[in-house]
Amino acid sequence: MKYISQFFDIALRELNIIVRKNRIYGFCMVVFPVLLVLFFTTMLDEGLPQDLPIGVVDHDNSATSRGLIRNLDAMQNSRVMYHFTSVTEARNAMQEGKVFAYLYIPEGTAAKLMSGRQPNISYYYTMTCMTAGSMASKDLKTISMLGSAALGKATMSAKGASDEQIMAALQPVTIDAHMIANPQSSYNYALTTVFVPGILMLFMALLSAYALGMEMKFDTGKEWLARADGNILVAILGKYSVHALVFLLVIFTYQYYIFNVLHFPRLGGVWSIVRLTLLQVAASIGFGIFAFGLMPSLRMSMSISSLWMVLGISMSGSAFPVAGMDPPLQAMSWLFPLRHYWMIYQATVLNGFPVIDVWFHLVALVAFTLLPWFVLRKVKNAMLNYVYIP
Amino acid sequence: MSIFRKLKEHVTDVLYVWRDEMKQVIRDEGVLMFLVVVPLAYPLLYSWIYNNETLHETPVVVVDQSHSALSRQFINDCDATPDVDVKYYAADLDEARALVSRQLAKGIYLIPSDFASRINRGEQATVSVYCDMSLMLAYKAVYQTAMVESARLGAGLKIKKAGNFTEHEDAITAQPLIAHDVAMFNPSGGYGSCVLPAVLMLLLQQALALGIGMSAGTARERHRNGQLIPDDDPHFKGAYRVVWGKALCYGMVGAVAAAYLSMAVPRMFSFPQLADGKTLLALLLPYTIACIFFGMTVSCLVRYRENVMLLMVFVSIPLLFLTGVSWPQSSIPGAWQGVSWLFPSTFGVRAFIRVNSMGASFSQILPEIRILWIQAAAYLGLACVVYSHQKRLARKYPRPNVEPVVTAEPVEQ
Repeated sequence: MKYISQFFDIALRELNIIVRKNRIYGFCMVVFPVLLVLFFTTMLDEGLPQDLPIGVVDHDNSATSRGLIRNLDAMQNSRVMYHFTSVTEARNAMQEGKVFAYLYIPEGTAAKLMSGRQPNISYYYTMTCMTAGSMASKDLKTISMLGSAALGKATMSAKGASDEQIMAALQPVTIDAHMIANPQSSYNYALTTVFVPGILMLFMALLSAYALGMEMKFDTGKEWLARADGNILVAILGKYSVHALVFLLVIFTYQYYIFNVLHFPRLGGVWSIVRLTLLQVAASIGFGIFAFGLMPSLRMSMSISSLWMVLGISMSGSAFPVAGMDPPLQAMSWLFPLRHYWMIYQATVLNGFPVIDVWFHLVALVAFTLLPWFVLRKVKNAMLNYVYIP
Repeated sequence: MSIFRKLKEHVTDVLYVWRDEMKQVIRDEGVLMFLVVVPLAYPLLYSWIYNNETLHETPVVVVDQSHSALSRQFINDCDATPDVDVKYYAADLDEARALVSRQLAKGIYLIPSDFASRINRGEQATVSVYCDMSLMLAYKAVYQTAMVESARLGAGLKIKKAGNFTEHEDAITAQPLIAHDVAMFNPSGGYGSCVLPAVLMLLLQQALALGIGMSAGTARERHRNGQLIPDDDPHFKGAYRVVWGKALCYGMVGAVAAAYLSMAVPRMFSFPQLADGKTLLALLLPYTIACIFFGMTVSCLVRYRENVMLLMVFVSIPLLFLTGVSWPQSSIPGAWQGVSWLFPSTFGVRAFIRVNSMGASFSQILPEIRILWIQAAAYLGLACVVYSHQKRLARKYPRPNVEPVVTAEPVEQ
């Protein structure tokens, strides 16, 4: 009973700090996350980049070449913005950042195509922006395939072949693609769902270290511990229960927004989301407290948390996969909470697979939650004996 | 006072502030961390993470219900590509799905039982590809390999049916129109070569802003009046002198960091480096200056130095997106394009990628360089304005009664 009343006493004290005393909490817990969600969801709203600016160097000027260019312009991801007179001019435009790709059709292409002399066309695209480069290359590849198919189709239908025969002759083997849980291959679904939780985890860890550091900086730690009768465990639980509740509320709102308002696809149930969110919040706060316990100084613990968690966004392997990294880095990826969050997210929430298949990541997040246990005494000692040095 | 003596006093003050700030930077481990350790070590870590550039041998599970020579040929062809590794065979789709669930495979190729008979009857055959969409790079590898290999198998079948006499005729049957696919400026399509130049330039801005902001916070806590500009030091008389003095100190650090990030790191990890020395200098000079004054302006906006960290860390990932390196610039909504104009990193990164990875010349990045100079001038003006304001504050509240550093009562935590 005593513990419970102490717990609520400390929780109320923390609530007072968050709501009344220090506005930075309000910013980091509510304003920044809202801005972040709006930023990513509006930024990537198109899902796939549409109407990428593309240039054309048409030296053939035939009906066929113009047909190719019109087809290219009609593709969803490309828009023919420039007609250049030479390849040099097109390359310069690419270096100036005006176009992501250009198509070069040399003189005599149509004539060679008609007479079966195998003409060459070339398309050049920049891979300095991989999203744009690969989209542009895909569209250009498609229209060049259409270009060669058009000829065969015209010849065969003139000979009286049926549509089915023509399709079978032009493309004997087709691919029937099933893009599970992201049928549009939308970058919004893929990137928002890792960057927003990643930065939120960063804030949770950072604020957890910040909260302890501020107690030390303003020498209020003794009063905080006194409220728990010197029991550090009750003091920590009371303090961070408020942080956890606020963040849980924010994250559930974010998830409601993306899954129910924006209709992000997911094959996992509601329980898979709740379970993951609880672990996400607990592990991040645990990490922040642990960082402070390792180095009981406001600025050092915050620097460590932020540098580590920012690195975690790359180490989560959501953009460049962990399997492609050097072996030491693959092992190190286990030390980043976001890595485990993302592995559980994509298995259980996105794909709806059973959680038992990623149980080790689940255990890892629980381990992050329990990390502060190692430093409880150090935190207490810091609160009672350390003096803040600017 | 003669003009020369006044000038001499000015210069002395600037030099004094420069020296004072330099001492602070070295003494404060928080500042030292962001101005020295982060620019030195962080790029090395990032380069290491992305050093392998491309993903090879994505594991795939095959469900071959056709068991024919043609289906085996297709599977062998896929397995032989660098991108895909046929690692497992499953009896049915459920078994294959279980392998994907256990993270052992990233995609499923399902070859239906009528695959070979349809081809032999002259009908169109289908291979079903199921992709795990959690990794865009893996999805592309699994899907595109299937596309390319099915087209190759199809071309072979077309040639057989055509009954040509010469190899040249065969080539024309397979490919009436040759399309050369040329990836430029990052020909292997490496992830690191694409992202890293942007990260390096952004890191310069973030490290400078964080370092400057922390140093300002420390100064506030150290000065007995609790303000950015002390009231008890005669050398801190003019706001402009303080701005110049501090800028000189940060300029020293920034110049070294900029040179290291733009020249040493890409060389160490063999990332693209096409930059011409003079062009690089013409870009990095305004960029570093703009970053420094940007950092000084931001440092005045926040009261506690820890808050600078919360702010700058928060914007770092969105800023990377606004540069257009991972999401093309042409697809960034107009409102966010407007926001991106506030930050030097937007133009610094864009111009650096073009100079460094695409070998652009000075005239090709001139628009960005102009904007960077405008930003440098604007942030210099703003820094002077906010420092003058700080100076007024210092004059207004010369000596508070309570010690600002450790207050017994947390008035404003």
